[in-house]
Amino acid sequence: MNILVCLKQILDPEVPARDFRVDAARREAEQGSANLVTNIFCENALETALQLRERAGGATITVLSYGRPTAEDSLRKALAMKADAAALVLDEGEGTPDPLNVARVLAAAIKRLGAFDLVMTGREAGDWGAGQTGGLLAEELGLPCVSFVDGIEVEGGRLRLRRQTDTGWELFEATPPVVVTVTNDEHNVPRIPKVRDVMMSYRQPLTKLTPADLGLAADGNDYYEVAELSIPQKETRCDFAGGDTLDEKVEAFARHVVEVTRGM
Amino acid sequence: MNDVLIILFAANGFDKGAQGLAGAGRRLAGESGGSLRAVVLGEGAETLAQEVARVADAVVVADQAELSEYQPETYLNALAQVCRESKPRAVLLGNDTYSQELTPRLAHRLGGSAAGDGVEVRVDGDALRVGRQVYGGKAHAVLELKKSPAVVWLRARSFAPAAPRETSGDVTRAALDIQADTRTRVVERRREAGGESRLEEARVIVSGGRGIGGPEGFETELRPLAELLGAQLAASRAACDAGWVPPTWQVGQTGKKVTPELYLAVAITGASQHMAGISEAKTIAAINTDPDAPIFKHSRFGIVEDYRKVVPLLREKLKRVLGAGF
Amino acid sequence: MEPTRQIYWNVSQVWAMYALLLPTALVAGYGVYSRWSRWRRGRPAARFDRPRERVRLVLKHALAQRRTARERYAGLMHAFISYGFVVLTVATTVVALDADFGLRVMRGRFYLYFQSFVVDLFGALVMVGVLLAAARRYLKRPRKLVHTDEAALILVFIFLLCLQGFLVEGWRIAATRDSWGAWSPFGNLVARASSRWLSVEAMQGAHAFTWWFHLVTSFAFIAWLPYTKMAHVLTAPLNIYAANLAPLGAALKNVDFEQAESFGVNSLAGFTWKDLLDLDACTECGRCTAVCPAHKVGKELSPRDIVLQLRDLMHGRPREVFGLASANGGGGVTPADGEPTTDVEALKPLPIIGAVPATQPAPLWQCTTCAACMEACPVFIEQMPKIVDMRRFLVMEEAEFPDSMQEAVTSLERRGHPFSGTQATRMDWAEGLNVRTGADVKEAEVLLWVGCGGALIERNQKVTRATAQLLEQAGVKFAVLGREEKCSGDPARRIGNEFLFEQLARENVANLNRHNVRKVVTACPHCFNTFRNEYPQYGGAFEVFHHSEYLARLVEEGKLKPLSDSGQKVTFHDPCYLGRQNGVYDAPRALVQIASRGNAVEMSRSRNQSFCCGGGGGMSFVDEPPDQRVNQERAREALETGAEVLAVGCPFCMTMLEDGVNARRGERDMKVLDVAELLWEVSRPRQLEGGGEKFNHRDTETQLEQS
Repeated sequence: MNILVCLKQILDPEVPARDFRVDAARREAEQGSANLVTNIFCENALETALQLRERAGGATITVLSYGRPTAEDSLRKALAMKADAAALVLDEGEGTPDPLNVARVLAAAIKRLGAFDLVMTGREAGDWGAGQTGGLLAEELGLPCVSFVDGIEVEGGRLRLRRQTDTGWELFEATPPVVVTVTNDEHNVPRIPKVRDVMMSYRQPLTKLTPADLGLAADGNDYYEVAELSIPQKETRCDFAGGDTLDEKVEAFARHVVEVTRGM
Repeated sequence: MNDVLIILFAANGFDKGAQGLAGAGRRLAGESGGSLRAVVLGEGAETLAQEVARVADAVVVADQAELSEYQPETYLNALAQVCRESKPRAVLLGNDTYSQELTPRLAHRLGGSAAGDGVEVRVDGDALRVGRQVYGGKAHAVLELKKSPAVVWLRARSFAPAAPRETSGDVTRAALDIQADTRTRVVERRREAGGESRLEEARVIVSGGRGIGGPEGFETELRPLAELLGAQLAASRAACDAGWVPPTWQVGQTGKKVTPELYLAVAITGASQHMAGISEAKTIAAINTDPDAPIFKHSRFGIVEDYRKVVPLLREKLKRVLGAGF
Repeated sequence: MEPTRQIYWNVSQVWAMYALLLPTALVAGYGVYSRWSRWRRGRPAARFDRPRERVRLVLKHALAQRRTARERYAGLMHAFISYGFVVLTVATTVVALDADFGLRVMRGRFYLYFQSFVVDLFGALVMVGVLLAAARRYLKRPRKLVHTDEAALILVFIFLLCLQGFLVEGWRIAATRDSWGAWSPFGNLVARASSRWLSVEAMQGAHAFTWWFHLVTSFAFIAWLPYTKMAHVLTAPLNIYAANLAPLGAALKNVDFEQAESFGVNSLAGFTWKDLLDLDACTECGRCTAVCPAHKVGKELSPRDIVLQLRDLMHGRPREVFGLASANGGGGVTPADGEPTTDVEALKPLPIIGAVPATQPAPLWQCTTCAACMEACPVFIEQMPKIVDMRRFLVMEEAEFPDSMQEAVTSLERRGHPFSGTQATRMDWAEGLNVRTGADVKEAEVLLWVGCGGALIERNQKVTRATAQLLEQAGVKFAVLGREEKCSGDPARRIGNEFLFEQLARENVANLNRHNVRKVVTACPHCFNTFRNEYPQYGGAFEVFHHSEYLARLVEEGKLKPLSDSGQKVTFHDPCYLGRQNGVYDAPRALVQIASRGNAVEMSRSRNQSFCCGGGGGMSFVDEPPDQRVNQERAREALETGAEVLAVGCPFCMTMLEDGVNARRGERDMKVLDVAELLWEVSRPRQLEGGGEKFNHRDTETQLEQS
């Protein structure tokens, strides 16, 4: 079985709010002293693939990223986690590509890299959190798609996919090829690579492509554009429930509770 | 066309999300000068359609046998057909699993643009703009959707419901040519036992700390409060360590990281190790006897009182204000 | 007549003794050889430099037995037996010199004073020592001892050997009516008692039999000795000679990532020869395990058992234990028995992690790297570095380690600090203070290294603030690296990710050198230790001070003029990486004395024998079982002193002990404060409300004049 896992490199989502800045003019987050990391749901996807390979055997895992040259780090880490092959499509454009742009590039790269039975993405990324890449990629590839998957089994050439829903879970049967988006679960926490494998990963080959290599023109964003980006003024001051009596104070507190829960 | 189409699933009924979605749709239709239409899918769509018709101008029922329960490929085909026929300016969906799954694919099939997790949606000249949180809630972005139709799923429950119309909208049954797509198929569905769902996904959490003083406080005070709010119960490490509550309740650096809309910290001091577990909580509120407790620095509102006095009174008041329907 | 006695009186066919000497020497020699042949399969270690210091160490700890004597009863018992043995060995040598080499030394005053009186006395002391040892072992039964048949047999042997010696001596004195007999008081006692019951002939006969029996049993004991824990007679002095002369904080080895075939150790062949010598030097005294904080709170970890069980593994078949090729390319060892093999698996050395109960991964992950075991060991065995060596294998080769440590390591990799999920930033603590950073670092006379704990843990931000304000008050021109600062690498190294440690170390050293930093002050003993003992290998030559040292000096120089007026009762907890591992005990105590107006008390365990807070070695990132918390044990000790304040000098100790004290809050209330906070409390300008946010030096002086 041939598995392809898409990985996105993003700004560390754990950067403290007080260190987080945006460039309002360019409508992008500033990196500051924060690191770039692999999106966690993408790592969950890779981990799910690795476990599938361990159980099913005979599978190969290719990791693919569309991003800046630094995205190579994410791919190297995936190789250290024991992905079999890696490819990077270099994003040479200005600004952030929209989800459809990304899906088109990934789809073209996937067609170039070979035939895959299973194409995996994270459910969404920790930066823009659009949650669209998987679905749009399925459409671009003309494949069916199952979202929020947290477990995959192979059964006689068919896949059994477990996915999380609002109220519980659903079990799918799918005939490959299929696209799945992966969500986190206690079973797909990404493994820590062995140090030896980390060192080896830098000696492994890595395919580098550009959108032009794939016959795609840099069109700019025709799907959506970020019109505004701002940091909301966070109310850090605690509004202490006031009042002369306990009853009044609790009343004020209760009003706050109602206000918050109403808006959900 | 300037119509706004909302998509509803019969299984969910006309719940708070569906009502909010209709409200958002109505306002957007007003802005774009179109009508509000709805599609109701699945078994029992007819009943829901009657309710929706009170706030929508037209309702399409799609309840044929192939659509009796959710199958992603089949539903997508059906919705694409409905949308192609009615040619709306915008298609709005809720924030359930199915809506989130369908949104980008439906947009792609219609040649439109999608956005998700919208907290505001408005027409701005020719453009349709969607406001949403990005970077894990650290920033707010407004997206301008360039293609039409705009397909957007919203945090539906945060929108005010639509006012009922004087006359109900027309309810029609869709005549759809649906081909069975068997490439993927749901073969089993499970609901997890209510109240035992995952802490990480809870929307409201009532959490107790060392100051609760023992397991009784959790049972007699916090549990009824949590039930009233539809909340999950959690605890600080100190309370778990003391053996008052199971370790699976622990929130913090060495426990669970949670992302509720409301985290109600009762008798929790708020050491940084605990705060690390709730940094993604949207709103933190605290009940604590110590006004200098660090938890208040992170709280949007709070009360300095003994929780034993506050919680019973709070339950009474919430019961009255929220009513039994909450 | 000149005092002497006839050697070999009443003994015929003395040649038989020489004939027996050969097999004895061969068997004993093989015992020594088989140990030595295993040590040399270890990897290289440079432990023969600085001979003068090494000889001094041997004199102090092998001859004078300073560490052994820390336990009074065991020390005394050991002294009786060991010094007795030394004297008896000298006496036997004297006899040999006289009988075999014709040196007539067995006569005159020397014969009377030493060869008779002193030897007799020490022989008796050995017996007393053995009785004390037996009483301890079998009546008191300390838990730290290993109860083996070997240990019992050794005591029996020694006792019988001495008893036989007195019988032989006594019967000779009686039978020969030795006029110098009174110089051997205990032998004489035997002589007098025997004379009353036995005829001269009977005594002569018994003497001959016992003499030969004594000879045979002595030779048997000598032959057996190298195969028992008594080998420590040889291995202990050797091990002490080869001890690590650096502070305990510099105990860990480096990994050569270019050359090493295996990162970390999972076979005895992966250890150095000194590590293997360590195993054979162990006397089974159990002191390491007795002081181990993890063991103390009921966890499985036992440094003694790690040493003993690895020792037993080491004495299996060399070819199975060490494999046919050295696993780490450390010197091309040839197969011991020379048999060629084609079985590839047989070439591999025996894995040691999990091979015995003591080296299961679970206990290895309980070590706080506090080094109490090493400090307690009378023969300078290095237990903790072996644990870290095995952790390295688990982390770097297997990627198998506790989840919460993984989280800390991942955070270190991504963010340069181990506190996953923190919302604090590196400069939050400095809010409202005017602290130099960035390009100003070059101009500063000293760099305040804040550390992740000091910057990112809310409680410790107050400590950093107090330290900065004290420096400011003393007019010290200091700066901080701010956002450029990264973890020193200590947690990564102690968890076992040496690769990550090296990255952090190189990055930090390069960064500090770029800023021309020479002098560093830090409130974190872990950073302090790393700077002092580990960065020099990466080109970082800094003069580094723990903040307590620097502040104490400022007080001494009169640059800080604290008003000692609190008078509250304070007890100080020695951080392992400051005290035991780097020998800094007095500076923090000086600050405590000032702040408490001399009202300081010591805990039952302090200074080099202090008990860990439980937070070292990455353990502060691990959720310990509630009934096995090291911090609560230490908090209990602190509360027992009756002090109102528990003073600490380490951000990890702060977190651990505050948690510990809180968990026991019902018993008594106790504040946990850093020494800098204590000093700031009595130094800050009083007339400024709100803690003297904006500081003005002149204000203090005015205030001091007024007071």
